[in-house]
Amino acid sequence: MTALGDIGHLLFTADLWHATLAAAVLLLLPALGGVVSERSGVVNIAMEGMMLTGAFFAVAADLIVHNPWLAALVAILAGGVMALVHAVVAIRFRADQIVSGIAINIFATGITVFLINRFYGLQDVGHVPPAELLPNLQIPLLDQIPFVGRVLFQQNVVVYVALILLVVIHVLLFRTRLGLRIRAVGEHPEAADTAGIHVYRIRYGAVISSGLLSGLSGAFLAIGISNTFVPNMTDGRGYIALAAMIFGKWTPFGAFIACLIFGLGQAIYDNNSIIHVSQYLLSMLPYILTLVVLAGLVGRAQPPAADGIPYTPGIE
Amino acid sequence: MAASTTSAGRRAPAPLIPSIRRAVRALAVRLGSVVFAFLLGAVIVAATGGNPVAAYQALICGGFGLLCTGGENAGLQISNTVVFLTPLIMTGVAVALPFRAGLFNIGAEGQLIVGAIACTAVGVHFATLPTAVLLPLVLIAGMAAGACWAGVVGVLKATTGAHEVVTTIMLNYVAQWLLRYLIIGGPLQLKNGFSVSSPIGAGAHLPRLLPNSNTLIIFGLPASVYRIHTGLLVALAAAAIYAFVLWRTAFGYEVRAVGQSQKAARYAGVSVRRTIILTMLVSGAFAGLAGAVQIAAVDHNLTDKYFADTTGFDAIAVALLGLGTAAGIVLAAILFGALHAGGAVMQADAGISGNLVYVLQALILFSIAANFLRSLKLRLPAIGRATGTPAAEVPATAAVAEVRAALHDDEGIA
Repeated sequence: MTALGDIGHLLFTADLWHATLAAAVLLLLPALGGVVSERSGVVNIAMEGMMLTGAFFAVAADLIVHNPWLAALVAILAGGVMALVHAVVAIRFRADQIVSGIAINIFATGITVFLINRFYGLQDVGHVPPAELLPNLQIPLLDQIPFVGRVLFQQNVVVYVALILLVVIHVLLFRTRLGLRIRAVGEHPEAADTAGIHVYRIRYGAVISSGLLSGLSGAFLAIGISNTFVPNMTDGRGYIALAAMIFGKWTPFGAFIACLIFGLGQAIYDNNSIIHVSQYLLSMLPYILTLVVLAGLVGRAQPPAADGIPYTPGIE
Repeated sequence: MAASTTSAGRRAPAPLIPSIRRAVRALAVRLGSVVFAFLLGAVIVAATGGNPVAAYQALICGGFGLLCTGGENAGLQISNTVVFLTPLIMTGVAVALPFRAGLFNIGAEGQLIVGAIACTAVGVHFATLPTAVLLPLVLIAGMAAGACWAGVVGVLKATTGAHEVVTTIMLNYVAQWLLRYLIIGGPLQLKNGFSVSSPIGAGAHLPRLLPNSNTLIIFGLPASVYRIHTGLLVALAAAAIYAFVLWRTAFGYEVRAVGQSQKAARYAGVSVRRTIILTMLVSGAFAGLAGAVQIAAVDHNLTDKYFADTTGFDAIAVALLGLGTAAGIVLAAILFGALHAGGAVMQADAGISGNLVYVLQALILFSIAANFLRSLKLRLPAIGRATGTPAAEVPATAAVAEVRAALHDDEGIA
C-alpha cells in the first residue's frame, strides 16, 4: 500500500503536527464549552450552530470594522447569544435539550444563509484581506527550536489562547469553589440547591460560556484558518467536538487528547495531495475515526448524573 | 388556547371527554408552535428589511397554490408539495419509531442517502430486468442499505453504549462523502466530467400517479407535467405500517416499553439490547425506502443534490410536530413539504431567501420543545379557569409528556 507509506512519511514532518495542533484547537474550544455546559447538567449538542454563527459574524464584522480582534469579539458574542437562547429554552422552559440543540443548529444554518442573501446578494460574502485576519504569532527564540518550534511556537494567536483556556478551565472545574459548584449542580442539583447554590445561575453561566468558546472557534475557522464564510463551513466540527468531549470523559484534558486524535485525521486529510486516494474517500476519515473512537470506548462513558435533566426547584 | 380554556371551564367526568380534550389540547399546542414560529419569522424578515406579508403570501402560493401573484399554476405547486412531502413521511416515521424507544435517530439523512445509493446501484446493474422483478428489488435494496446503516448505530448503542446522537451524525457525513466518491470518480459515475450516476433501468421506475397523457387537462395543464408519483402511496402505506407495528405487534409493545423505562422493560422480560438494535434496523429501512423511492420515482439517477439534501433533518421536526403518531406525521409532512416547495417561490417572488424555511423549522422545534404556550398559561392563572381546575393541567400536557418521556433515555442522555 503506497498510501500507508505516504502517511508514514507524512507523520515525520513538522508541518503535519503543526496542522494537527491547529485543527485540534478548532475542536478543543467547543469541546471545552461542552465540558463546562454538561458538567453543569445541560446537554449541549448546539456547539455546531454556535460555531457557525460565530464564523459568519466574524467575517461580517471584519468586513465592516477591518479589525480581526473586534471581529473575533463579535463572533464570541454571537456564539454567546445563540447559547443564551439554548439556555433559556433548556433551563427556564425545561425543554428537551437535544431538541433545543438541534433547533439551534438548524437555526444557525438557516439564518446565516438568510442573512447572506439579504445583505450580500448571492452566496458570496466577500474575502477578508490577509492583514485583517487573526495573525500567526511567532514566539521569539522558541520558534527556532527544530521541529518543536514549528509545531508549538509558530501558531495562530487563537491556538495559544485555547491552550491557556484549557488549563484555566481545568483548574476552574477541579480546583476552585466555583468549579465544585458547577459539578455539584450537574451531579445533584437538589442537593446543590439545598446547600444554597443558585442552580439556574450556574447553569446559565455554563451554557453561555460554551457559546462564547464556540463563537471564538468559529472566528478562528473563518478569519484565522480561512478568510471567508461559506454556508455550513463548520462541516460537523461542533459534533466532532461533542464526540471528543465524550471520549475525554467530560474532562478538559481528556477532550484535548481526543481533539488531537481528530486533528491528526484532519491534518492527514488536508495534506492529501501526496496521498493517492480519492479526496472524497479521505473526507470520511475524521467521521469514521470518531465512530471508531466512540465504539472502542473502554467501559461506558458516564455523563454527569443530572446531565440533560431540567431542574425544577422545590419539586422533590 | 381558546379551545383549552373553554374545555377547562367545564367540569366533565365522562371518560370520553378527557381524551378528546387531551387531543384538542395537543393539537392546540402544535398549532400554537407553528403560529409562534411564523410570527417570530415575520419579525426576523421585517427586522432585516423584508416584507413579511409578501414573503408569507409567496410561501403559501408555493406550498398550496393559493394567493399567487407571479402567475404560478396552483396544480403544479400542489404537485410540488406532494413530491416534497412523500420522503418526509417515510423519514418522519424513521425518526418517530426510535423516539418511541427513547432513541434519537438524527441519522435519517445518512440512511436515506445509502438507500438512494443502493437503489441506484441495483437499478443500474440489473437495468435490463423487467419491472415486476426490478422495482421490488431496488426498493428492497434501499431498505436493506438503510437498515444496515442504522443497524450499525443500534449495535454500537446496545453493545458499547456509544450515544446514537453522535454516531448517527457521524454516519450522515460518511454517507454524504461516500455518495460524492461514488458519483465523482467512483464506480457509479456516468462518465468523466459528470458528477451524476448512470440512470437506473426503466424497469426500476416507480410510475407517476397521474396518467402520462397530454390530452387529459388538470388545472389547465396536461396531466403529464405533474411529477406527483406513486411513491406517495408507498409513503402512506409506510405510515400505516408504522401505526400497526407500534400499537398492534409484540415488537411495538417492546419498543414502547423500552421507551417508557428500560428498567421496567427489563423486569418485564424484554431484551432491551435486542429491541434497540431491531428498532434501529426497522427505522433505517423506512429512511432507506425514502431514498430508494426518491431515485425510483423522481430522479432516476444519483446526483450531487443529495449531498445538500436535508430531508432526514426535516424529519425530526416532522416527527416531533406530528407527536410521533402516523396521522400526525402525515399532517406535519404536509406542512413541511409545503414550506419547502414554497421556499423557492418565496425566493423568486418576494426576494426572501428560501432559507427562511429552516429558520421557521428551528423556531417550531424550539417552541414544541419548550412548550411556550403552557408557560404562558401558567403565568396567567386567573383567566378562564374555574376553581380546582389545576388537575386538568395533567391531561393537558400528557400527550406532550408522552413524547418527551420517550425522548429521555432511561440511562441518561450524553
